[in-house]
Amino acid sequence: MAVDTLARSQAAAKPKPFTRYKVRTGMFAWMLHRLTGLALVGYLVVHVWGLRAITNAEAYNTLIAKYHAPIFKVGEFLLLGAVIYHALNGLRIVLIDFMGWSPNQTKLFWTLGAVAAVLFTVGGYPSIAALVAHFGA
Amino acid sequence: MAKQYGRSAKSSAYQWFIHRITGTFLVFLLITHFWVQHYDRTTASISHSVITASEAKEGVLPQYSERANEAVEARRGSWLESQEAGAAPGVQIVPTDESDALAGHEGGATPYDILMLRLADPVYAVLWKAFNILFLVFALHHGFYGLNNIITDYVRNDMARVGAVALSWTVAFGLLVIGVYSVTVAGLNL
Repeated sequence: MAVDTLARSQAAAKPKPFTRYKVRTGMFAWMLHRLTGLALVGYLVVHVWGLRAITNAEAYNTLIAKYHAPIFKVGEFLLLGAVIYHALNGLRIVLIDFMGWSPNQTKLFWTLGAVAAVLFTVGGYPSIAALVAHFGA
Repeated sequence: MAKQYGRSAKSSAYQWFIHRITGTFLVFLLITHFWVQHYDRTTASISHSVITASEAKEGVLPQYSERANEAVEARRGSWLESQEAGAAPGVQIVPTDESDALAGHEGGATPYDILMLRLADPVYAVLWKAFNILFLVFALHHGFYGLNNIITDYVRNDMARVGAVALSWTVAFGLLVIGVYSVTVAGLNL
């Protein structure tokens, strides 16, 4: 019995490779916030690295031509989604932390979600329309 | 409020507070950056061209609106006039051999011409450079502090965690140097 208890406590103390989360609205919002944050850091690195081309006309033109590739148009669309979500959910976190809106956090999530959907649709339209026009023509 | 959180440096409460502040500011900085630099209202200099990899290899460049092309041509004309008059221009569209060759693509402006057109604005050249550097500092701090939170939460090995944190701040510093240099020298034809 003592051995069993010891084994159990050792098993409990051993860190698990992955943490299991109970995914409710707040947790889902938090996870997505982190994932979009990681994506945006990745984008920031690429964007700043690309700035080096600003001092050379040929390099800059080549870089911008690459940024107009179909994959980048899709990326532009996803980037917009990540930025909108991360920004609005960040504002939600600030409101919860500083304004005491915690009891309304779920309502706030869905309200800002609706705002995000509108911004995403309106802002993302040019990227998708350009792709449709290019491949549909 | 800052004082309240600043008391507890060990618990990173101050960093936590700053993270919220930089995040809030970033929303406004991002909107302004996007509005000014990616949706230029004066020359409609945004191109929605789609260029495939094979087209890019052939040297195809994005197409800009007629209004943007005209603005670039006008700027180039005024630069040539100022050169003939012996004036020493500030930030201008410089028709070097390189940009002359590229400017000939389908008779339109190149992305570099459009960039130089924006930088030719003296207000833009100074005010917006300062704005972009501020934006860069906020973005890097916010982004890499957030990344470090994730590293701290998920990297369990002490050595690996310290190494990852050190590496990430080194990358952030490198990006800061690259970004500040690039923004500062843009349009100065160094």
